Amino acid sequence: MSEAMALNLLLFLPVLGGIVLLALPERRADLVRGLSMVVLSAQLLLAAWLYFQFEAGVPGLQFETRIPWIAAWGVHYHIGLDGLNLLLVLLSAFLGPLVVAGAFTSITKDVKLFHGMVLFLQFTMLGTFLAQDLFLFYLFWEAMLIPMFLIIGVWGGERRIYATLKFFLYTAFGSILMLAAVIYLAFTVLTQDGSPSFAFTDLYDLGFAVEVQLLLLAAFALSFAIKVPMVPLHTWLPDAHVEAPTAGSVILAGVLLKMGTYGFLKLGFPLFPDAAQIATPLIMTLAVVSIIYGAGLALVQDDIKKIIAYSSVSHLGYVMLGLVSYNLLGVQGAIIQMVSHGLVAGGLFLMVGMIYERCHSRDLAAYGGLAKLLPVYSVFFMILTLAAIGLPTTSGFTGEFLVLLGAFHAAWPQFEAGATYPLVLVSVAVLGIVLGALYMLRLARRLLFGEARAPEAEGGTLRDLGLREKAILAALVAAVFYIGLFPNDFLQKTEQAVIEYQERVWPARAGEGGQ
Amino acid sequence: MTPEGLFLAALPEHLLLLGILAILVTDLVSDRPRDPFLLSLVTVLAAMAAAIGLHTVGHVAAPFPGHFSVGPEAFAGKALLFGLSIPVLLLARSEHFDSRFAMLLLSSLYGAGLMLSADSLLMLFFGLEILSLPLYALVVLAYRRPESAEAALKYLVLGGVGTAVLLMGISLTLGATGGLGYEHFAAALAGGDMLSRGAVVLVVAAFMLKAAIVPFHAWAPDAYEGASVPATAFMATVVKGAVILALVRLFGDAGAGPELLAVLIALPLLSMVWGNLAAMRQQGFRRLIAYSSIAHAGYLFFALLGLPEARFEAVAFYVIVYGLTTTLALACLPAGEDWLRDRLDSLKGLYHRDPRSAILIAVAMLSLAGIPPFPGFVAKFLIFRTVMESGLVAVAVLGLVASYLGIYLYLRVIQYMFMSPSASHSRTLPAGPVATAAAVLSMAAVLLIGVFPGVVLGWL
Repeated sequence: MSEAMALNLLLFLPVLGGIVLLALPERRADLVRGLSMVVLSAQLLLAAWLYFQFEAGVPGLQFETRIPWIAAWGVHYHIGLDGLNLLLVLLSAFLGPLVVAGAFTSITKDVKLFHGMVLFLQFTMLGTFLAQDLFLFYLFWEAMLIPMFLIIGVWGGERRIYATLKFFLYTAFGSILMLAAVIYLAFTVLTQDGSPSFAFTDLYDLGFAVEVQLLLLAAFALSFAIKVPMVPLHTWLPDAHVEAPTAGSVILAGVLLKMGTYGFLKLGFPLFPDAAQIATPLIMTLAVVSIIYGAGLALVQDDIKKIIAYSSVSHLGYVMLGLVSYNLLGVQGAIIQMVSHGLVAGGLFLMVGMIYERCHSRDLAAYGGLAKLLPVYSVFFMILTLAAIGLPTTSGFTGEFLVLLGAFHAAWPQFEAGATYPLVLVSVAVLGIVLGALYMLRLARRLLFGEARAPEAEGGTLRDLGLREKAILAALVAAVFYIGLFPNDFLQKTEQAVIEYQERVWPARAGEGGQ
Repeated sequence: MTPEGLFLAALPEHLLLLGILAILVTDLVSDRPRDPFLLSLVTVLAAMAAAIGLHTVGHVAAPFPGHFSVGPEAFAGKALLFGLSIPVLLLARSEHFDSRFAMLLLSSLYGAGLMLSADSLLMLFFGLEILSLPLYALVVLAYRRPESAEAALKYLVLGGVGTAVLLMGISLTLGATGGLGYEHFAAALAGGDMLSRGAVVLVVAAFMLKAAIVPFHAWAPDAYEGASVPATAFMATVVKGAVILALVRLFGDAGAGPELLAVLIALPLLSMVWGNLAAMRQQGFRRLIAYSSIAHAGYLFFALLGLPEARFEAVAFYVIVYGLTTTLALACLPAGEDWLRDRLDSLKGLYHRDPRSAILIAVAMLSLAGIPPFPGFVAKFLIFRTVMESGLVAVAVLGLVASYLGIYLYLRVIQYMFMSPSASHSRTLPAGPVATAAAVLSMAAVLLIGVFPGVVLGWL
């Protein structure tokens, strides 16, 4: 099998699985779960194989497929891997089976619909990452809302309807303005080149006036920033996370939020480089505000899910900070940070789900001393906590360290040239790490240590993690350490694409802060 | 013009007429009431096949020069309108079907055919009247509640006003330009004098009334609610499509002057906003569809802002998609007593009682909301691209934002079906087999268009 075919199979496996799923009887929940597990595991194997086949240092796309789809409009079914989406595809494929495995016991209602939606979601997420045609990208981007809408709305908590409508309407508002920009781009291509096209590579070459670029970037950025989410557009996130079932939270934090940052990386900044350069101080400011504000809010929450939700706002602030450093260190750090956050926040949400299944409470005040009650659980929780803080040897360290290093590299020459603002921002961002340690350790201390108590614990004992749960967490922790200890392979495979990104967006800065 | 030429050019219409006569005759000679379903289905299929065939061979003719001519666009428009009425017929079959319904529906289609071939305002007027008159009867035909009669009367009165306005506009066109041909209307469009402007405004207003554009929309919610489900489907899809396709033909290559442009921007925009906002508060499914159809009429009218060569494609594609999805939603409504099935909260918990219908309605709702991957998105994309291409970027953005307002109302239906417990009065009465056939037919078409929109676009 050629790699390109494998990539297509990777994308369409969930669809094939979904078609088989339709034929299964509703009451055979075991078959439904087994099928989803098999499909998503096969997808992970394919993704891993493709990852190893992917060659570092080769410019442009690899394993490309390009077939005309709507010929009259120049729309192509065009997918491919490059250094920007490679790791995110791997991350999505990695989280897929873990999400399904995590839902074995927690989802008992409408099992078939649930797994159908997970497969649908997986299809649209991978499609968004793999698409190399703006029309296709938008299609997947928007279609993603449908399964998430149902996942939160059907299997969520008490205020699920409010939360899921807020999620959908919030993100759809961003998308509608992006759609306006997409249509504008499409018709500009037609008038400039004489033939219609939606290919990213054709769109990169459109030379817009700066004023037009600013408007278009604003339209794209609104959509992406809502998804990231960047303060002040983050208010949908806590509601969605708190009300979503565990699987929903994991996918939301693990993959969906990266759509926003990936959007900036792949489309927003490269499509409108002049506007991106002008907007950089603003984006940096918002990124740092997100880091500090998210951390500050996480510090005062009593709902465990909310703490992790706000920590996501903070962690994705680092990603944005790395992206606008426009140097190799910062952007690569941002990519690693995306993956790391996907693993760590996904893992933490899974662990909250596990304790919720046992005790039916997410109130931090109700817990204490779980280290005595659930020793194995506590070990895993502590490892993920430390990874979230960014302890060296974990993935969180690699990501945040590279981001901050890159941001300093970008800010220092400006400081020498007399501009202190960027350096001040980066310094504040460093403070965010301290805040991160504060809120995560507060969570761990109150949850794991102190007087042993947990709601609904009969006779003071709780069932510790089962084999299934251990396996899920072990896989996550292994990945966290792998990235922390051996980031080199990841860095090599992303390098070429990041260099292309720099040269497209801000060539003058590309030389600075190399490795 | 030779007789053969006349025969061939108007073949779809002739077939419809033949069908009507055949139904009438069998009804008269037979002493038992006969089921005209098969006959009417065959008639519509034959008419559609004729239109497709003539479109494929690229038949162009003008049997009555200056009044009636056919070409690729006319045949494509007729084929899609006839095609859209097939699921409506199936839907009607599962509800209640008699020779009156069949004849009225076929007559209305005949009027639609005339409108799409008209070259003069006179012929257009004939077509519009032949389209409209059977509708007033269709609304009361299946009446199961007193409101139906009231709704039909309201529709009749307002429809009559529309007719009068159109006639007035036609007379003014005659006065201003000295003729009734479409070229005279184009001259009136281009003319700046008071008489020409008045003529154009009155003609456009009449079309807006027939298509239910705010502020001429008041009849639609009552008529849709009072009519039976298939009649609602017919009005919302085929009739609306015919009216707008005819308007596109009437405008031809002409653009709107600045004053008319303002009207053509403001009123459709108002329709989108008001239709979408008012639909949110509806408790009845057909009223919801009515307000949603007011908003969709706004999108359709937006296509007129586009460049002349792009309008037909945008409108035709939109009509196909919108018609199929609306029919799909109506065909999947659970069977039962009319007042009960029309209540929106009867849909609560539908997924648990009838998962297939719930999923199909959800697909229809998402498509109507313009959410990809469903074809409603491509249709919306095409409309707004058309608007943007003519340089009205800000208008297109406003329209997109107005369309955003509609998302909530469709999501609410999905929320009812999937996320709410069943209401106490809802019972498990799945839609009948023929209605299911209508749903499956629409769904298959929706899926095909969703996956291969290029094929349909290439054909138009």
